[in-house]
Amino acid sequence: MSDAQKTVITLICERAVEVNVDGGGACPDVPGMKVIKFPCSGMIQPLMIEAALKNGAEGVVVCGCQIGDCYYREGNRMIRERLLGDRPPTMKKGTDRRRILALWLARPQKDRFISESKEFIAKLGSLPAPETK
Amino acid sequence: MQKIVDNHPLKAFNSLTLTLENITNKVMTSKYNPFYYHGALPQYYLWVLYLSGLLLFAYYIPTIDNAYFSKNLVNAWTSVDYITKSLPFGGVIRGIHRYAGDAMVITIFLHAIRVWFTDRYRQYRWLQWVSGIILAIFVLFIGQTGYYLVWDERSLLLTRMTAGAFEAIPFIGSGLKTWFLNGDQITNLTLSNFLFIHIGLSFFLLFGLWVHYLRMTRPVMTPPPAVNYILTAFVLICVFLFPINSGQMADLNTQPNAFEIDWFFLFPYALLSQMPVGAYWAVMVLGTVAITALPWIMIPKQPAIETAEVVLNKCTGCSLCYKDCPYQAIEMVPAPAGSRFKLLATVKDFRCSGCGVCVGACAFDAIDLPDLPDAEVNAKIKALLEAKG
Repeated sequence: MSDAQKTVITLICERAVEVNVDGGGACPDVPGMKVIKFPCSGMIQPLMIEAALKNGAEGVVVCGCQIGDCYYREGNRMIRERLLGDRPPTMKKGTDRRRILALWLARPQKDRFISESKEFIAKLGSLPAPETK
Repeated sequence: MQKIVDNHPLKAFNSLTLTLENITNKVMTSKYNPFYYHGALPQYYLWVLYLSGLLLFAYYIPTIDNAYFSKNLVNAWTSVDYITKSLPFGGVIRGIHRYAGDAMVITIFLHAIRVWFTDRYRQYRWLQWVSGIILAIFVLFIGQTGYYLVWDERSLLLTRMTAGAFEAIPFIGSGLKTWFLNGDQITNLTLSNFLFIHIGLSFFLLFGLWVHYLRMTRPVMTPPPAVNYILTAFVLICVFLFPINSGQMADLNTQPNAFEIDWFFLFPYALLSQMPVGAYWAVMVLGTVAITALPWIMIPKQPAIETAEVVLNKCTGCSLCYKDCPYQAIEMVPAPAGSRFKLLATVKDFRCSGCGVCVGACAFDAIDLPDLPDAEVNAKIKALLEAKG
């Protein structure tokens, strides 16, 4: 994969940090980022993260509201526990966890989201190429 | 697909709340942020009130005079005086009981304001909102009966004002007054009735809380110990800085006409003293109805919730969605005859919030939100990745 083809998929709760998304699902603030919004981060399946990585995503950002605050009470806590392997269904053992970033940011924390995800993308570049394909 | 997230009427208040909580998070981390336990704070104060109330109950004598001890008058006022001045730490316990009550009213108010500002009070949460309003009214009334019990001049005045207000209600007024005073006029039996109302209704709160917690999976009822210590410290600081003292002992032959007001519990009396009784009841009833109906008034055209749907031939009956659903909207029923599995998940539409936590809990793609099925999500992920390379 060349640098130009890098894509990072962001799976994000629509009530968490406000991210600008254009018609094609790209985020203009962070180059190379594609965004899919969910009603709640609790809806994100570990399977979806695995699917994104398998289909050639450079990395996956999972973003929900601040832990402790969820519009639907427990969604962000659930996906965090699933990512950590404390609540079924969990991630497959072979998944490259270095390519997953979890962020818990409230609506006004847009700057933090942009800086954290840019840093994450920069870090991804230094990782060895993924084994798939 | 775009729901009410960005265009509900209290959007600005929602941002304000979240910004405020963001600052609190920086100071005390999200684990100890008291705003994240806003519902558990009054619950904690309720336990404090039960315990301190039990200790006060041991020494309280609910009479206005006592014929059996006529030589040295023993009544409600002197027993409270004894608790406050002679009993070791009696004054502290009394202070805790008073200030924990005030703190409970404040935290209930914060709780209500937060769920309102963050838009978490309507549709599938209507039961929580309505039961919360009823609970808050009972908390106010129980607190007011606590002010009658000390039997100083303020108690006498409040008792007369309340009896008068009850009497003014058409049809049931005189009956209510007789119930309230436990007779036609203020006697020894009146105070025993007040004590019964004060304690009896406070146990009714537990029943009300049970309704309040219905449909909530894993309700947050206990703040972390560190937060409890802070809550207790607030009360204790007030107890030692502003000790509680009774006024003059009530004398049935006098008519006190002014009193120091506790704005947390006694604000209805401030209203009552300013307007005719009829207008007072009109304000109270209409105000209560308006607040109770808030979920339906605020947003008249609420978009219907897209409830989750089980894919019948994929469900294995593993119960993971049932365990994770935050609103107890999923019920496991016996699987139909001929199925390979024992159980089948079903969705109770009237409880479902459409949040999709059950989708995240399902490893078999067997439950879907109709407007965003997981097959579509996976297709979208693929499309986004292929778009550039």
